[in-house]
Amino acid sequence: MNVLTDNFSAYGAGFLGTLELTVYASLLALALGFLMASFRVAPVGSLRIFGTAWVTVLRNTPLTLLFFAVLLGLPRFGLVLPFKVFAVLALGCYTSAFICEALRSGINTVPRGQGEAARSLGMTFGQALSLVVLPQAFRSVIPPVGSTLIALAKNSAIAGAFSVTELLGTYKTLNELGYNIVWTFVWIAVGYLIITLAISALFHALERRWGVAR
Amino acid sequence: MAVDPLIELRNVNKYYGELHVLRDIDLTVGKGEVVVVIGPSGSGKSTLCRTINRLETIESGTITLDGRPLPAEGKALARLRAEVGMVFQSFNLFAHRTVLQNVSLAQVKVRGRGRQEADRRSRELLDRVGLLNQADKYPAQLSGGQQQRVAIARALAMEPKAMLFDEPTSALDPEMINEVLEVMRQLAREGMTMVVVTHEMGFARASANRVVFMADGRIVEDRSPDEFFTDPRSDRAKDFLSKILKH
Repeated sequence: MNVLTDNFSAYGAGFLGTLELTVYASLLALALGFLMASFRVAPVGSLRIFGTAWVTVLRNTPLTLLFFAVLLGLPRFGLVLPFKVFAVLALGCYTSAFICEALRSGINTVPRGQGEAARSLGMTFGQALSLVVLPQAFRSVIPPVGSTLIALAKNSAIAGAFSVTELLGTYKTLNELGYNIVWTFVWIAVGYLIITLAISALFHALERRWGVAR
Repeated sequence: MAVDPLIELRNVNKYYGELHVLRDIDLTVGKGEVVVVIGPSGSGKSTLCRTINRLETIESGTITLDGRPLPAEGKALARLRAEVGMVFQSFNLFAHRTVLQNVSLAQVKVRGRGRQEADRRSRELLDRVGLLNQADKYPAQLSGGQQQRVAIARALAMEPKAMLFDEPTSALDPEMINEVLEVMRQLAREGMTMVVVTHEMGFARASANRVVFMADGRIVEDRSPDEFFTDPRSDRAKDFLSKILKH
């Protein structure tokens, strides 16, 4: 039981590390996912191909492999950044593929006539998408996007294997110090729960505020 | 009516895969003319209406609006669409916006009007279609007939040169059809150029300058409503009229 109180600073650093990875990677994933979803429904063929390729490659690559590719691959091309930034990049890009597909399924729930009406009034494709289609798509994608971000929070544990400070990685230190392994993990699990339940609560609130009215 | 042509289709052909939905369509609509397009379902009349503002692309032929050929895509096409109002069978009001916002949105975003000016104009138009008291409701709270009248106001807010109506009353309960037709009749009287795809023969008789009868992707007859309804030339039109006028 005293695992937590004895090592509060180690747990705290790990918790903040995971929180930071989750927040930054989520923002990146949402921005990129939004962009890629726009590409995938765009009237321009090359953009659609790019969006489809982005999703296919990232969604079908194991995340650990992607971490290796980013952390070991990019420095070879002269791009040297802190490991934490690399981890955010890998996590954000990976998750953006799933966000993109959730958004796209939302776009498909909006009746075709909505976009047609917008265009017939003289709106450009971008205006029709951002003013008419996406605001309505957004309502139906709140639950799946929430699930995707929860998965992201848990996936951030992989960054620990690449010496980024995060919650799961704290077990190594505590284990070496001889603490009870079960309690070590219980407190780690509690840390993840705090983050994932917070995401759940946030999306529950969003759904209450913006969700599809029945 | 030998007036300025506003909408001109020349040799227009369209295919859905193997299906040849528009065959060598030639159609001229003059400024201020009301052209009603009728025909059996699947004859291509809705498709014809939708090609005029390029919601449907065509495989060959030319379409010109006010002397300018229809641009392929992008900003030029968007600008041109703003000049042609469109009213749909399924209304297509923006479900997440109030009635007033529906009418104001494109005025602000496309025409660049200020919010207040746009809202003022929207209220005038809503008043004109008899729905000013519904301005703050959402589309789902209105009846079909009311939604369609808002849709007409929304299209008029762009001050279009012409209006396209794609079966505007086909999704309405019988008692709501007239309130929409009344708005359309008024528009016709005011000299709006209109292309109306409809099954409302009463409207065609009373308000149309010309009736265009389509079957199997072709324009079979293009005549004044009086001539068409009293003395249709083609067997196809006779057959069609006998079926719809009897029930």
